[in-house]
Amino acid sequence: MSAAGGTITMLVGAVLLRLTVTDTYRRYVKGGLGLWLTIAGIAIVLLGLVTLVRAIRRSRPSHEHDHGIGVGWLLLAPIAALLLVAPPTLGSYGVGRAANVNIKAGRGVFKPLPRGQEPLAMSLLEFGQRAYDHHGTSFNNAPVNLIGFVAGDVDGGFELARYTISCCAADAAPIVVRVLGTSGDPPSRDQWVTVTGKFRPGGGNIPDLVATSVAQIPAPKDPYE
Amino acid sequence: MGGVGDDVALSEAARGQLHEHRQDRRADVGVAVVVLVIVAAAALRPLLQDLLDKPAVAHWATIFVAITVQAMPFLALGITVSAAIAAFVPDDFLPRVLPDRPALAVPVAAVAGAALPGCECGSVPIAGRLVSRGALPAAALTFLLSAPAINPVVLVATAVAFPGKPGVVAARALASLLAATVVGLVWARFGNDKFLERARRRHSHDGPPLSVMVETAQHDLLQAGGFLIVGAATAATLQTAVPRSILDSVAGSGAASVLALAGLAVVMAICSEADAFVAASLTQFSLTSRLAFMVVGPMVDVKLIALQAGTFGGRFALRFAPLTFVVAAGSAILVGWWLL
Repeated sequence: MSAAGGTITMLVGAVLLRLTVTDTYRRYVKGGLGLWLTIAGIAIVLLGLVTLVRAIRRSRPSHEHDHGIGVGWLLLAPIAALLLVAPPTLGSYGVGRAANVNIKAGRGVFKPLPRGQEPLAMSLLEFGQRAYDHHGTSFNNAPVNLIGFVAGDVDGGFELARYTISCCAADAAPIVVRVLGTSGDPPSRDQWVTVTGKFRPGGGNIPDLVATSVAQIPAPKDPYE
Repeated sequence: MGGVGDDVALSEAARGQLHEHRQDRRADVGVAVVVLVIVAAAALRPLLQDLLDKPAVAHWATIFVAITVQAMPFLALGITVSAAIAAFVPDDFLPRVLPDRPALAVPVAAVAGAALPGCECGSVPIAGRLVSRGALPAAALTFLLSAPAINPVVLVATAVAFPGKPGVVAARALASLLAATVVGLVWARFGNDKFLERARRRHSHDGPPLSVMVETAQHDLLQAGGFLIVGAATAATLQTAVPRSILDSVAGSGAASVLALAGLAVVMAICSEADAFVAASLTQFSLTSRLAFMVVGPMVDVKLIALQAGTFGGRFALRFAPLTFVVAAGSAILVGWWLL
């Protein structure tokens, strides 16, 4: 195998390692895959390094003929892209285009939330599931805190969304909550926000939350649920 | 006499030198191209950034990168196993120990698939290696289909995604085994092994085992990696171009919904360890159509077709994918009707 093949291979491994070191990989795959990406990255870098060293040290061309790199050249495309600009987390573009996620699947009956003083941090998925479970009685009128991005405007508020992924962004499914009762202009599309408020029954397919506060935040380290 | 002999020897040496030159130059050009691509991309960085500001392009790029990155660990595992077989298993070992009658070898291969805990990207290079090492092609192909579908990791994921419905897990295992076995038997009876020439042609490298392992792994990684890129780009394009919301128009039960979800599995190209969760969320569809999604997905999808074309050859993939699609969808309908 040629020096160029070894170089491409080392770059593939290096890009994988860089994604894990910078935590950028969480934009593309589930967090649990990080360890495996690291192991694969190290193995691929070593493989490329061995190939490169062998190709350089081979003073005479050996009799084994050189395989072409062939389609392997295509690997340069994602390498070049990822080294320079990492594609962003999935945003509002895909929300309206995905199939309806029916939250009613699975999950049994929820215990009522304690009615405390502090709002409870909750995933959008759990918010949706609680909203469907007995029309949201388990919320017990307790305040909750949600984190997501703005997916679009609705009358009197905006749509808050976050994707849930099970393996990688290709299987992402958006969960949407309607945030009502905000005053002023809604935050711009794709802006990450943290919303505090209470569930309001009667929202239909998309559950409603009446907000008491909406604050803009930077995108979380783990953008998917 | 002696003079002529010297001439011949001389010209051979000269030819050798020429050959050496050419190879050296080709290697230099290769490295130069790699450097050039990186430099060009760096120069065009503002352009890339502008492109990514367009939501549709960003969506495409994220899914493209996601599929590629997600597949890498599994591909690396499959390539390691494949290279280890090439390096350490003697040439005549597999044909000697494996059954050579399809009627026995194919079902055995289907069940053996349970032993490889990975998803579909890993099983392609392994099946390719089995074919090149003289295993019965039909059995290797059956293994290729069953391994990503019925291994313990996938079945546990399915059980988690469908809580309280053990029938779904049983139906998935059964329908996948059935589909893999039927495709294997059909290939044994009607398939033409000349379509596998690409896998057959893969010659073994000579030398000490570790050197063979490195050469094989390096070659397989570039080959499979390149085809993975083609598959990931196709899947990202289809996912971006065809909004999944059109599915809502064919929701329900009946043949149309089975075909819709089987087709979705081909287009989405998601990992077999994740597809159960997606299937579970598509509650507007009947359980049988969601079963079809989980049976077809690990066996036929755009990323797999590209990988198979790279390993076995394009003419093979062109025949194998439609055959597998029909058999897998059929098994899902049959088992779904019986169990779900």
